[in-house]
Amino acid sequence: MNQFFAKEGVKNLHHEGEKLITTHCCYCGMQCGMHIRLNEKTGKVVGVEPRYDWPVTLGKMCPKGVTAYQTVDHEERITTPLIKKNGKFVAATWEEALDLIEKNYKQLQSKYGKDTLSVFGGVSMTNEKCYLVGKYARVALGTRYVDYNGRFCMSSAAGGFMKTLGTDRGSTFPWTELEHTDCFFLAGSNTAECHPTAIQWIWRAKDKGAKMIVVDPRETPTARIADVHLDLKSGTDSALANGMLHLLIREGYVDEEYVNERCNNFEDLKEKVTLFTPEYTSKLTGVSIEKLEKAAHIFGQAKKSVVMFARGVEQQSKGVDNVSLYTSMALLRGQIGKFASGVATFTGQGNGQGGREHGQKADALPGYRKIDNPEHVKYISSVWGIEPEEMPKAGVSAYEMFDEIENGNIRGMHVICSNPAVSAPNTEHIWAGFKKLDFMVVSDFFLSETAEFADVVLPAASWAEDEGTTTNTEGRVIRIRKVKDPVGESKTDWEIMKLIAERMGKGKYFPYENVPQIYEEFRLASKGGKADYYGITWDRIEKEDGVFWPCPSEDHPGTPTMFKEKFDTPNGKANLAVIDWRQPGEIPTVDYPLTLTTGRVVFHYLSGTQTRRIKFLMEQCPLPYAEMHPELASQYNLANGENIKLTTRRSSMELEVRLTKAIRNDHIFVPYHWGKELSVNQLTNPCLDPISRMPEYKVCAVKLQKA
Amino acid sequence: MNKIMYLEFERCIGCKACQAACRECGGHDAKERNYVEYVDFMESRQTFPMLCMQCKDPACARVCPSNAIQITAEGVVLSAMEDKCIGCRNCTFGCPFGIPKFDFEENKMYKCDMCYDRTKHDISPMCASVCPSDAIRFIDFDEMQALRRRRTQMNLIEGKKPTEQDKWQYVPEFFGVYSD
Repeated sequence: MNQFFAKEGVKNLHHEGEKLITTHCCYCGMQCGMHIRLNEKTGKVVGVEPRYDWPVTLGKMCPKGVTAYQTVDHEERITTPLIKKNGKFVAATWEEALDLIEKNYKQLQSKYGKDTLSVFGGVSMTNEKCYLVGKYARVALGTRYVDYNGRFCMSSAAGGFMKTLGTDRGSTFPWTELEHTDCFFLAGSNTAECHPTAIQWIWRAKDKGAKMIVVDPRETPTARIADVHLDLKSGTDSALANGMLHLLIREGYVDEEYVNERCNNFEDLKEKVTLFTPEYTSKLTGVSIEKLEKAAHIFGQAKKSVVMFARGVEQQSKGVDNVSLYTSMALLRGQIGKFASGVATFTGQGNGQGGREHGQKADALPGYRKIDNPEHVKYISSVWGIEPEEMPKAGVSAYEMFDEIENGNIRGMHVICSNPAVSAPNTEHIWAGFKKLDFMVVSDFFLSETAEFADVVLPAASWAEDEGTTTNTEGRVIRIRKVKDPVGESKTDWEIMKLIAERMGKGKYFPYENVPQIYEEFRLASKGGKADYYGITWDRIEKEDGVFWPCPSEDHPGTPTMFKEKFDTPNGKANLAVIDWRQPGEIPTVDYPLTLTTGRVVFHYLSGTQTRRIKFLMEQCPLPYAEMHPELASQYNLANGENIKLTTRRSSMELEVRLTKAIRNDHIFVPYHWGKELSVNQLTNPCLDPISRMPEYKVCAVKLQKA
Repeated sequence: MNKIMYLEFERCIGCKACQAACRECGGHDAKERNYVEYVDFMESRQTFPMLCMQCKDPACARVCPSNAIQITAEGVVLSAMEDKCIGCRNCTFGCPFGIPKFDFEENKMYKCDMCYDRTKHDISPMCASVCPSDAIRFIDFDEMQALRRRRTQMNLIEGKKPTEQDKWQYVPEFFGVYSD
């Protein structure tokens, strides 16, 4: 039996000579509970055991989760610092690497000013590390330029929630309630492949008679089991949502009492959506009128319903609009703040929720504080022990940092736990940026495509070699446990940041000896903010199977259901979205007649740095492919398995064709987990959302030729 | 063993977590013994898990000339016993489901043994443990009966004709199979 969280009646197979260590998967926001099997003699991670007692996932895992342990002692791990000499990486000592970093950082800053350095963070890290990235950039390096890869993943959901509800928590309800809901409205989420362990909750509800509506241009394994599949054209979500709002009002499905008491702008919304008749909506989106009406009836008649969405609606140049409009559907039905109903977004990265709350964003400070708010700056300065005047101003978003490199404003970059060389849109621009940098440092545990551009690569500890907390997709703060010591000479990310801070003469601001010390400071920094973690202690997380933020004091029970009484807006009412529909950044033309959309496959995670190194996962999906409808293929005289060349206004690449009727006949889908010439992000459009600054990965115009 | 395996093909999302987990089961030497297939990729994303049916009268065992395939008291059909197996591969030809495979390097057959090291202690097999959509379940016999009844009822409500046919003659009681 495991030594933590042991509950009666839960049996696990315990192999002799092994220890079971209770932790969570390193990949997506589901953060599935698992036990890692550690051989006590060799100290190596040897396998995984399901964790049947974790309430959110009940022992379920996807193929990535099952094989995640294999990255820990993987032979390709970087075990010593690497310094690039004559274009080749040479193993070095920590002293040599840190000397070089100190010399270059100081030289660049004395020549070009403090803001010449930049930090690019990630959210596959613990809360503690994400918090430290913001502090490291602003205190140790004193630069305004810090941002993170959540800008490619979560920021539109954050922007939409902030706008409508006042606080951005990925889910307004705990997902263990999902089985009691009556209706799922899933927009732009291929739950089955991207968050597989969430599917069990959908099925539980379906078994009780719940209905399901899926909005997706592809008939994904998720859409396949829907009662209504709204197969829209990519990039027309805001038209579709406006159309749904129109139908909900027209058919009398509005919870008027709730809307009157708890929402602003209803009259304006009513007026705005009069235009979006089913006929007009159908024309814009390509979805049939019957399907739209059927979906509105199902959603409108459900007593308890959830609206959930993911990257499909967020990774657009109007992601914030989409999120606000879909959220308004739940508001019109009076569903937010109630049992088994509400809105939620599926966080793509492990700590996509916690990582965006604690000051890695260009404009944010810990606890969802704003860097342009003097009160907020004053509080965080007092926690950090600096003067408020020393706090740098707001920087720019992730993709825009590369524009600053091109302009010569940024000359040094430290990339921590992220792989923008694969994950950023228009990757050729990113590669050019990396080449232009005077000095580049990467901390990672594999030599990623980004690390190959670096001057110094620092070996970081993996997820199983450090401890801390993460916040899962529900907003539940959970514990990640250390399974073993870091391999070779690798160090944890917080140790790396501390060492560099010391070299920059800021060691006194980073006095940590262990993670609990960082956690204590982090709790204090979040205190009083919208994302308040102050009452969440490690003991409580263990005893209570995780604690939901906000939790302002140790006697506070946490907040599984948000907005029960009021919203976090100035007058306590939610803002219904009154938004026109806009075209995506690129629409099909004579030269580029088709629509390209991208997404995940179940076997890979993000840029594939980890999953492409796992034998089982690579056997299932070794290469990217172009998925298209047989009708479209016949227009181009293509057969299954042939090679094609896809070209957008940015670049072109070759891919193998995979034919299936499970996609619109004017769309092409390509998964994005590969680097270099296999990276579909060479083609994607960096057109940014005006509020969230998130690029438009999900739709761009493309032309097709036989290769 | 008080529990049974229950399959519901419609739920399968094709993630192959069951295959990955099968490799993790003790003694499986990183080789999966269950499979996930597309019904017809050109038409839809419908996949299905293919597990050993643990037949009552298993063809693999019947055609084994050396009696190497043993059946436990609970009815679990095990991999061929190494010392008895003569490597003739009759079992791989005999099985109508394509479950037994032959390892040419090790010169031995391998097939799903329902994670006997786990299931004999009523711990769920790895495939059923991890299956994210509950397409593969390891549940009580009564629960399986209730699920089958409910399925039939739901089919009637939804206007589908229940097609039970005679598959139960071949599949033992502890293996509940449902397919649309």
